[in-house]
Amino acid sequence: MSTGASAVRLDGVGFRYPGSNAGVFDLSLAIASGELVVCIGPSGCGKTTLLRLIAGFLRADAGRIELGGRDMTTAAVRARECGVVFQSYALFPHMTVRANVAYPLRVRNVEAGERTRRAEAMLEMVGLAGFSARLPHELSGGQQQRVALARALVFEPAALLLDEPLSALDAATRLTMRDEIRRIQKQQNIASLLITHDQDEALSLADRIAVLRDGRLVQVATPQEIYDRPADGFVAGFVGRANLIDGDVVAADAVETPLGRLAVLPQPRPAGERVRLLLRPERIVPRAEPGGENVFGVAVLHDRFFGANRELDCAVGNGRLKIETSVRGAIAHVHVPRDAVQFLANP
Amino acid sequence: MIPRWITIAYLAYLVAPIALLVTGSFGELWLNSLLPTGATLKWYADVAADPSFRRAFTTSLFVAAMTCAACIAVGLPLAYAVFRARSARLRAFARVLYQLPVALPALVLAFGFILVFSSDALPWLGSVWLLVAGHIVLGLPYFLQTVVSDMQRLGLRALEDAAESLGSTGVQRFFHIVLPALRHSVLSGLIIVAALSIGEFQFSNLVSGFLNRTYPVVLLQAFYGATGFACAATVVLLALALTASVTGALSAQGTTRLSAAGAAG
Repeated sequence: MSTGASAVRLDGVGFRYPGSNAGVFDLSLAIASGELVVCIGPSGCGKTTLLRLIAGFLRADAGRIELGGRDMTTAAVRARECGVVFQSYALFPHMTVRANVAYPLRVRNVEAGERTRRAEAMLEMVGLAGFSARLPHELSGGQQQRVALARALVFEPAALLLDEPLSALDAATRLTMRDEIRRIQKQQNIASLLITHDQDEALSLADRIAVLRDGRLVQVATPQEIYDRPADGFVAGFVGRANLIDGDVVAADAVETPLGRLAVLPQPRPAGERVRLLLRPERIVPRAEPGGENVFGVAVLHDRFFGANRELDCAVGNGRLKIETSVRGAIAHVHVPRDAVQFLANP
Repeated sequence: MIPRWITIAYLAYLVAPIALLVTGSFGELWLNSLLPTGATLKWYADVAADPSFRRAFTTSLFVAAMTCAACIAVGLPLAYAVFRARSARLRAFARVLYQLPVALPALVLAFGFILVFSSDALPWLGSVWLLVAGHIVLGLPYFLQTVVSDMQRLGLRALEDAAESLGSTGVQRFFHIVLPALRHSVLSGLIIVAALSIGEFQFSNLVSGFLNRTYPVVLLQAFYGATGFACAATVVLLALALTASVTGALSAQGTTRLSAAGAAG
């Protein structure tokens, strides 16, 4: 990113669907070679629009799109050389796996022997050696996904674009394919953009996460940064589970909240300011005894057991708290460590 | 238990008339008994020797073939245009429009044709091409319905997008992706059209000229003669309709297999 040799660069890109206010606005984003950026947001936020703008299926109204250092803002789809993996995979049903993967080479007039060799090599790379004579409908969902990946990569594209690639898979396959996409993407060292609405997918896959809301980028940062220092309440709530609590500053190290008075690390905000606080559920600690700083009595409303963890919804004072813990027994009190309380930017 | 009996009863109801026709076509004498007596191939020989039946047989095949060809030439681009139409409202409107002939009685169509084409300006009534034109109107809605719904079911749009992103040109996409992916639906559309054309009576009876009557039109005359002859002639129509469907299916599969083989290379 810092070198300026970004494989994909968007500069103030805007697009509005004709006759509506939906679209994307003033998007700036750079993806370096070998980097995987995951774009996440609620449905209708413009994720797929962003992907279609880069691939060229939509033409930007404003801004500039560069691929491999060349201005591609108005270029045709086929000139952009983007490998796209579609949500439905879009494998050609009448072609064998080999013919599917060799197709990009065929339309580039690569000689037949050479394209078979390259298609087979790519199939081996995605773990499908020996499947080349099959037809797509004879493969499982995960295998079809691998074919789609191989086909999108075989012509050495400028960028790899993946549109919710895991959403059509069952839970077990999804985890395997998540790791596979990561492995293949790193091995090919290609600039990649993956669209998803699944926060686990975003956190575990991404080099950087781009959070999109109502067509605008809210925050672009590493997964840790997004999780630990979310730009606002929306990002905090969308990536990871979050308790968002509004309160009034009463002292440099105290905030009055519906939970009760909360001791916080000293901070510069003046008394009386309205603030929004973030408490991650796993940072809240169950206590056996009442008493002490930031220890609150809780009434458990919901208790969900997930094996290693429990997720609880609790009533605390006049507010609610989500708690995640590995403690098995009954929970009557919780402790909120001072450093678990974060102030969010815009209340 | 009850569903099974209903199924069996319905099957019997479907098959019995056809079975009776076949039996009758091989019976020597069939007057007042439930089943005919004696076995013979005479009736088939008579049908085969009859010049008007021979003529009608080839006319019917020709009309069906031309109707199928026109469905591909006109229907396929039309289906594609409807499928790719930008607005959903336009697509819905187009679907209603091309389905209209289904609700149109063939009789009405025939009267319209007679009015228009018996005029001095367009004196084509009685020509075989007019017959073909009418059969296209009657058959095209079924062809379009089959093909358009298959385009949606196959996700043709995504296939084309994929091909485009992989570097293909518009012409390449049409021959590599659109045509081969649609081969089965084109095939089943043609089977319906061929069967419709071969069996069509209402329209053909009014519009065909004396020298190019189709088989069903001539068949009606047969019922004024011997029962065995009428049965044999009807069985021939049944066989004709089946053959047209199957050969249509096979030849279409042959050509698409070629293009698929080309695509697989």
